[in-house]
Order: sequence, then structure tokens, then C-alpha cells
Amino acid sequence: MRAALAALVQTLGGCAWDTPMTTVIPRSDFGRDILHLYAIVTWVAAGIALVVGAALVLALVRFRAKPGAPLPVQTRGHTLLEIGWTIAPALVLLVIAIPTLHVIFRTQAAPPAQALEVTVLGRQWWWEFRYPTLGITTANELHLPAGRPAALRLEGPDVIHSFWVPQLGGKRDVVPGRRNQLAFTPEIAGEYWGQCAEFCGVSHANMRMRVIVDAPEAFERWVAAQRVTPPEPSGRAAEGKAIFTSRACVGCHAIRGVSAGVLGPDLTTFGSRRTLAAGLVPNTPANVAAWVKDPGALKPGVKMPVLGLTDDQAKAVAAYLESLK
Amino acid sequence: MGAERSHRAPPASHSRSAPVSWVLATASWITTVDHKRIGILYGVTAFAFFLLGGLEALLIRLQLAAPDAHVVSAETYNALFTMHGTTMVFLAIMPLNAAFFNYMVPLLIGARDVAFPRLNALSYWIFLFGGLFLNASFLVGTPPDVGWFGYANLTSKQFSPSHSVDFWLLSLQLLGVSSMIAAINFIVTIVNMRPPGMRLMRMPVFVWMTLVVQFLIVLAFPPITVGLIFLMFDRFFGSHFYDVAAGGDLHLWQHLFWIFGHPEVYILILPAFGIVSEVLPTFARKPLFGAPVVVYSGVLIGFFGFGVWSHHMFAAGMGPVADAAFSIATMLIAIPTGVKIFNWLATLWGGSIRATTAFHFAVGLVGLFTIGGLSGIMHASPPVDLQQTDSYFVVAHLHYVLIGGSLFGLFAGAYYWWPKITGRLLGERLGKLQFWVLFAGFNTTFFPQHYLGAIGMPRRIYTYAGATGWTLWNTVSTVGAFGIAAGVLLFMVNAWRSLRAGAPAPADPWDGRTLEWRTSSPPPPHDFDTIPPVLGRDTFWREKYGPRGAPPAPSHDHIHLPAPSHWPVVVGLGMAVLAVGALTHLTIVLMGALVTIVGIFRLALEHHRTPAHEHQTGGLGLDHRKVALWVFLGSECFFFGTLIATYLAYRGRSVVGPEPHEILNIPLTTVSTFDLLMSSLLMVLALAAVERDDRRHARLWLFGTAFFGLIFLAFQAWEFTQFVREGLTLQQNLFGSTFFVLTGFHGAHVTVGVVWLLSLWLLDLRGRLRAADAVKVEVAGLYWHFVDVVWIAIFTLVYLIP
Repeated sequence: MRAALAALVQTLGGCAWDTPMTTVIPRSDFGRDILHLYAIVTWVAAGIALVVGAALVLALVRFRAKPGAPLPVQTRGHTLLEIGWTIAPALVLLVIAIPTLHVIFRTQAAPPAQALEVTVLGRQWWWEFRYPTLGITTANELHLPAGRPAALRLEGPDVIHSFWVPQLGGKRDVVPGRRNQLAFTPEIAGEYWGQCAEFCGVSHANMRMRVIVDAPEAFERWVAAQRVTPPEPSGRAAEGKAIFTSRACVGCHAIRGVSAGVLGPDLTTFGSRRTLAAGLVPNTPANVAAWVKDPGALKPGVKMPVLGLTDDQAKAVAAYLESLK
Repeated sequence: MGAERSHRAPPASHSRSAPVSWVLATASWITTVDHKRIGILYGVTAFAFFLLGGLEALLIRLQLAAPDAHVVSAETYNALFTMHGTTMVFLAIMPLNAAFFNYMVPLLIGARDVAFPRLNALSYWIFLFGGLFLNASFLVGTPPDVGWFGYANLTSKQFSPSHSVDFWLLSLQLLGVSSMIAAINFIVTIVNMRPPGMRLMRMPVFVWMTLVVQFLIVLAFPPITVGLIFLMFDRFFGSHFYDVAAGGDLHLWQHLFWIFGHPEVYILILPAFGIVSEVLPTFARKPLFGAPVVVYSGVLIGFFGFGVWSHHMFAAGMGPVADAAFSIATMLIAIPTGVKIFNWLATLWGGSIRATTAFHFAVGLVGLFTIGGLSGIMHASPPVDLQQTDSYFVVAHLHYVLIGGSLFGLFAGAYYWWPKITGRLLGERLGKLQFWVLFAGFNTTFFPQHYLGAIGMPRRIYTYAGATGWTLWNTVSTVGAFGIAAGVLLFMVNAWRSLRAGAPAPADPWDGRTLEWRTSSPPPPHDFDTIPPVLGRDTFWREKYGPRGAPPAPSHDHIHLPAPSHWPVVVGLGMAVLAVGALTHLTIVLMGALVTIVGIFRLALEHHRTPAHEHQTGGLGLDHRKVALWVFLGSECFFFGTLIATYLAYRGRSVVGPEPHEILNIPLTTVSTFDLLMSSLLMVLALAAVERDDRRHARLWLFGTAFFGLIFLAFQAWEFTQFVREGLTLQQNLFGSTFFVLTGFHGAHVTVGVVWLLSLWLLDLRGRLRAADAVKVEVAGLYWHFVDVVWIAIFTLVYLIP
């Protein structure tokens, strides 16, 4: 009994809300604006539910038929009451409507001039991130500096996707042919999870991402690392590079100084990413080798083909990719 | 034809009779035009589809019970949630509602059947074949897998190359036709077939809600019909409506879908509201509190329901002004909905409550729909919705309103009206057990999904990682789903036991308030031995308990039972064959079209000259067929309005030429426009001739109208050929796509009109078009004039205004 109560309290209380994709522990100004409104609508809803529920239960208990009772008074209506319970909900809705309008316009205002521009391309089933003012391109792991506004422009070369990183705010669709925008200032450094939120085909469930919000100096270091051309690898990694450059890999993937493919994610600093295959599994040599050998096993319908690599070849390629930091 | 003896539903033991009578029984069901039997057909068929949709849901929940599960593949899962949604909306809830419309509406208003009994049967058969066609996709391995709202451009040939989307769009078109025909039928029935004394505000609220729903169907289905036509043309014929590279806008699909989709949810819930509005007063032994207000709020909800559609698009990037406008509109619509809840509560207050099973379900709706409605209000705030949309929060919301609302309402109706329909009572103890099992199972399944959405679980994902923290409540939710299954099973047990050996039901088991309780359980084929008097709202209650007021004039009517017909099922089959042909071979398309067209003609001429069919005038002095045509024209306004709006929205967006000003031939089209206008004049002359029985001139002008129509079509054919030669095809650019589809569908309407007029002309040749048949010509004339008016709009907007 006590354990159940404790579980209930824990569920309703703090701990169970702190999950990677939570919408109620915001880490940006956008997220906080939303949460403020979220709290208002939740309390209003809960309040109304309580009142209606109580009235319902009361009526059911109090007006049960008593044996032998006469017909109840055949009341047909009451105009004043009708007016009253038409106006009352309208007033309650004002409580929601006014802050709603404020937040709509505030959160969709044009981003300030000093905002960091990022172009987000949603593709089946991974995310490309380009920083036009910094001259770098990466995939599936978005880095942003804490405390600086970010201006995301969402574009889509294939179908509709939706960019959603709950702790950094609400979602916005990626609509081919349209330029949607999302602007917010991430406030606290950390790793945040995101996921595509508009059904986009077979592996929609596997189109995930990580957003790393860095302290400003850490962000600068990350940017610098993105710009470096990877040095020549040696040993196992060199074997892997030889396989990479001799196979179809170069046709889809870009690695600065090595290849310029545009169909798949840019791999220049793949080794420094925390996950692979768009946030699906941790970036470990074993996982990379398995992915390279048979991507479809992890991600049904993936566009990356099976290249017929042996286990040994896959491990070599993994070693090469992990060396790209 | 005299009254027949009361007919009781045969007990199950009769199923052991000889094979011949089994064949005869089946044939009688296949050719039935009796609204009660059609209601039963709808109910049984829809329930079967409901079970199928439920099975799909159980598989979904099994796959989601644990992270990284492999119960079904990703491909299968995506088909499962697509089919679950499509099935539950179109093949379960809508036709279950229709089952009650069919069975109860004539009884509730004191009529003996619907206005067009054979069209009623036709609606059912198209529904059945449409549903079978959709599910046939499983058999060929390509079930639809793009979600029940099939967003473009995932549905394009490029991203969905298999027939999966074709099955989906073709079956939706079939189901749309079924719903539209039924909607027109019910509107005419309710407007035109009420007995003296049954004024509109005296009608039971369920009938009012039905009326609003039919108007919603008539006006909301055309936009999605057009949206699906665009999709079909893109996929089958290479047009560019949803082609971004050619200048198409993917929001077009979303707007067209949701302009239908939002009224659709009111189509799904208002009947349940109507049922609750009947059940609560009956078991509280008090009238519905504020009945006129409940009626007006239903009408307002229907009306405003057309103004909120883009609240499904708050994440789509419409801009802050659109977001704000639709947010306010959505909040406003909560007010009439809330008013209903309060009126229901006030109905209970001060009552004398007998808590039957039907009552349990009605109260369940009040509570659960309140929760669903409140989460809906949360969604009405766009910033909040940006976290909730496309997550399990909205999945929770929609199931609270659709199961807690629609399904609980339907169960209330089932327990309430089962005795009337079957002549037996459902078990009350088992019923209450069923209620609680379903209630517990439902809340266990869906309440936690609010939480899952709040911690970021997106919808339509076939799996998830355990590290997200979603596992526990997904498992709980899956357990709950089996509780729902148990609840449904218990109903089936209850139903079976009732049909086999349930207690016989009297005519009025609940001490009811409305007219259906005034006839036997089940009713005789002709519903009422004599048309009942209508003393006011809750007329039967007033008969029993007063006030009675002045006795109304006795009504004199003769009982005419519409004869059975096999043409509805033939037309339905023809349309199904057409759909199959669209996926296989042109020859099959032509076969299906032939069967359909022949069937339609036979259906139209079957009862020609039967006395009852000469006079189809209702209480307002209007002919059924005229009312039906006006309703149809209302839907046509929305149909052409959507086509024209798309043309205008896409104007100037073509990426390549030719452009309108380079190719449109205004002088020539002015001539053909003049020709079409003159044809309307000839039509007026034709009607006048028929009305004064001047057969010679009637033939002349009817043929003349058709002839002028043919000239217009000849001009159009010439124009199309010229355009193709000059490089403008359907596939060339956006202008080609929008132009040919808009003017092509108009031309198709002219063609139908020409065929219609020539048919009337042929009837006249055979001496079968006399003054008494003038209404047939009048109706054709109304259609013809309408098609002309549409052309004036098209000519102005497409040709004259650059």
C-alpha cells in the first residue's frame, strides 16, 4: 500500500518528468515561454475537470430513484443559467487566450541580428546541419552555444519531417518547398534529445538526433575542430580509409579532403559524435562496424546499401571513421 | 396495400431451416430497402470492421509494450496504424452512427421510411464494397502505410511507389460517395417527411444532431474528394498538384484534408451527443434541460466546425497571424460544447435516476468527453500544441473523444435501442460489468498516454529506446488495451445471449419519451400502424403524462412499403469493379463503369409510373427530389469552390510555360459560354412546355438544350486538343494540371447533364413524360442551370481575369 502510494507520488511528482525527451523541463527561452502557458492550460483544465466531475458524481448520488417516488419536477430549462454557463467558459478561455497570443507573436518574431544561423535539412531518415556563416556542415548532432540566439531555417529535399527537441522548445515542420523557421536561445549547457515528429516513411521512428549545447568557449573549440582537414590515418584506420575510398562510400558521403558526396551525412568529424545512424545507438567501434556491414538491420528501409564487406573490412572502416575527430 | 401483421425477429433456432429458405432469406437481405434492415446491415458490418480495427490496435500495443520490440516489422506497423485509423473512422464509427440514423430517425419523427429507400440501400452496398476493397490491400501485400491522414508528398508515386496509397485513396472516394448519398437522403427525410405537428423544434435531439451531421457530410466531403482527386491525378496521370519541383505547395493537401477532417470529428461525435440527449432524460425521468439550447449549440458547433481546421497545422509554419486566428476560433468552439455538458448535468440534477447500462454509458461519455475536450482546449493554444501535437498527448486526446465520446455514446445507444430493434433485452448485470471493464481498460490504456506525450513520445513510431523512460507506461497502456478487448467481448457475449434467449422486450421498456417506443419491439415493416399524433417535444411522454393540449387532427395516410430492389447492390458492385480496374486494367474500369451506369439507369426508371413515386411531396409542399437536388447543389458549390480556389492559389506558380495569357482563346470561349447560357434558356422553355403538356415543344427544347450542351463540349474538346498541340498538357506544368482538372470536371458535369436531358427526351418520345412528371424536368433544369453558373465563374476567373 505504502509502496504504491510512493510510486504514485513519485509518478506525479518531480522525478518521473526528468527524461531525455521531456517537454516540461525547458532549457531555452522558447521552452520556458511554452511551459508557462502549459501550466496555465493544465491548471484550467484540471480545475474544470474537478468541478464537472464533482457535479456529476454529486448528481448521480443525490438523485438516485427512490422506490415509490413521484415523477420529478419536469424542469425544461433556465435562461439565466444558460447565459451564465455560456459566459463563464468564455471568461475562462480569455485567461488562456491572452497569454497565448502574446507567446505566439513573441516566439515567432524575427530572430535578432546576432543569432547563429543554422540550416536544418530533414531527410529520410537523418538530419543535416549546415552553418552558413561558419562554413561547416555536420549531421545528426547539432551543436549550439549557450546563451546565444539560434535561428534555424528548416528545409526539406524529400518529404515532410518535423524538427523537435522538446527541452529546447516546440516543434516545427520541415516542409519541402517552404522555408520554415525556428528561433530560440538555448540557456543551459547539456545534451538534449530530439526526434522527427511527422511521419515520414518506414524509418520515421529512427530519425533521431542529439543537440549539444556548449558553453561559448567549448563551442568555439568544436567549430575549430570541424574546420580541420583530417590528417592521414595510420594502421587499421588507414586500411579502413582505403576501403572507404575504393567503395561506393565516396559517392554519398563527404569527408573534408577525401570525398564530396552529398546524398548521405557528412562524416568529417564522425568520430567525435556521441551516436550514429541519427541518434539510434551509441557511437562505439562495434556499433559502427555492425552498421557499416548491414545498415538495414538497424534502420529498415535505409538508403545506405549493403556493400558486401567482410567483418574484418567493416571493423577497419569503423576504425577509420572513429579516427575522424 | 394494407397494414401487415407485426413481425418479430426470428429466434436463432430458425437458422436450422431448409437451404431454399436460407437462399430466399439472403436474397431478401440483399434486395432490402427497409430502413430497419439497412440499419441492421450497417450495424453488423460496421461492428465487424470495428473488431478488425481493434485487432490492429492490439498488434500496435503489443509492438509498443517494450522498447526495440520485434512483434511486427516497421513496414507492418506503419500499415497497422494507418489501417487502424482509417478503419475506425470510416468503417466503424461513421457506419455505426449510420446504423442508428437508419433504424431510428424515421421512427423518431413518425415517418415510415427514408425519402429514398433504394438510395439508402445503395449507400450501404457502396460502404460494404469500399471497406472490402480497402482491406483487400492486405491480401495483395500492399496495405496503405502513410497514416490515416496521408500527408503529401509522402503519398506521391516517388515516395510511395506501390499500390498502397491507391487502395487508400480509391476506397476513401467510394466511402465518400456512400456517405454523401446517405446524407442527402437523411436531409430530405428529416426536412420533408415529418408528419403534421412534428415541427423542427419538436424533433428529438438525436434527430437534430443527425441533421447537422448530414449537412457537415454534404459540405465537408467535397474538399477531401477534390484533394483525393488531385492525389489520384498526380499518381495516375502525372499532374503536379503536390509536386514541389513544379511549384506545388504541400500545405494544399493539409488544408484540403483538414477542411474535411475537422468537420469529420464533429460528424463522429454529434450522433453520440444526440444519443446521450435521449438516454439521460429517459433514465432521469426529466426532460432534457435546455433542449433548444442543446439544439442550437449543436448547430453552432457544426457551423463553426468549418472555421477551425488549421488547428491541426500549428506546427506546419503558417505564420503567427494564422496561428492566432485559428487558436481563437478553436477556443470559441469549446463554448457550445461546454454548454451541452452543463445542460446534461442539469438534466440529471433533480431527477429520479434509474442507472441502467445505457445510462452508465451515457454518463461515461459525459465524464470522458469532458477530459477529452479539456485536452483539446490545451491543444488550442499553439505554443502548447507545439509540444503536444504529433505526440502521444494528442493520441490520448483523440481516443478520449472518440472512444470515451463516440464509442461510449454508441454503446449507450445500443443498450437503449436494442430492445426496440431485436425485441429482446440485453442483460443488465452483464451490461454493467461490460461497462466497468471497458471503462477501466480504456482509462488504463489512454490516460497514461497524456504523460507519455508530456515526456516527449512522438506518435506513429514503431519502436523506441528504453533510455527515453517511455517503457513502463507503454506496458501499462498495452495491458489496458486488452481490457478494452475484454469489454468489447463482453458486449458480444451479452448480444449473443440476448438474441438466443434474452427476455422479450415490451414496446416501451424504459417508459420512454419519444415516438419509437410507441410501436412494437421490433416494429412492424411499416413502422407504425397509424402515424402517431405529435403533441410537442417528448410527444410520447406527453401522451402518457400530459400536458396533452388540443388533440391534433387525425392524419390520413396510406401505407406504402417500398418494393425490394436488386439494383442498389448491382450499382455498388459496379463501382467496386471500377476501383479494382483502376489498379489493374482499363478494360475492367470500363466494365465497372458500364455496370454502374446501366444500374443507375435501371434504378432511376424502376418505379417509373408507380403511383407512390409520382407524388413525393412532403409536409412543406416540396418534392423530395427537388430538396435532394438543392442539397446536392450545395455540395457541388463546395466541390467547384475547392477546384477554383486551388486554381487561383496556384496561379502564377508554374515553373515552366506556357502561361494562361499565351494560350487561352478568349474570343472562342466567349462564344462557347454564350452557347451554354443559351442552353439554359432552352431548358426554361422545355420545363414550361412539359408543365403545359405540350409534348412536341417539350421534345424540341429538351433536345435543343442537350444539343447546345454538346456544342459546348465540342468547343471544349477542340480547345483541349489545341492546347495539347501547343504544349499545354496535364503534366506540363501547374497551370496545365489545375486548368485541365477544373475545366475537365466541369465538362464532365455538362456531359452528365447532356445524358440526363437526352434520357428525359427519350422518355418523352415514349410518351412517359407528362405534366405530372414536370418535377423531373425541373430537377434536371436546376442542375443544368447550376452547371451554367459554375461555368460563368470559371470563365470569369480563369479566362477573363489575368
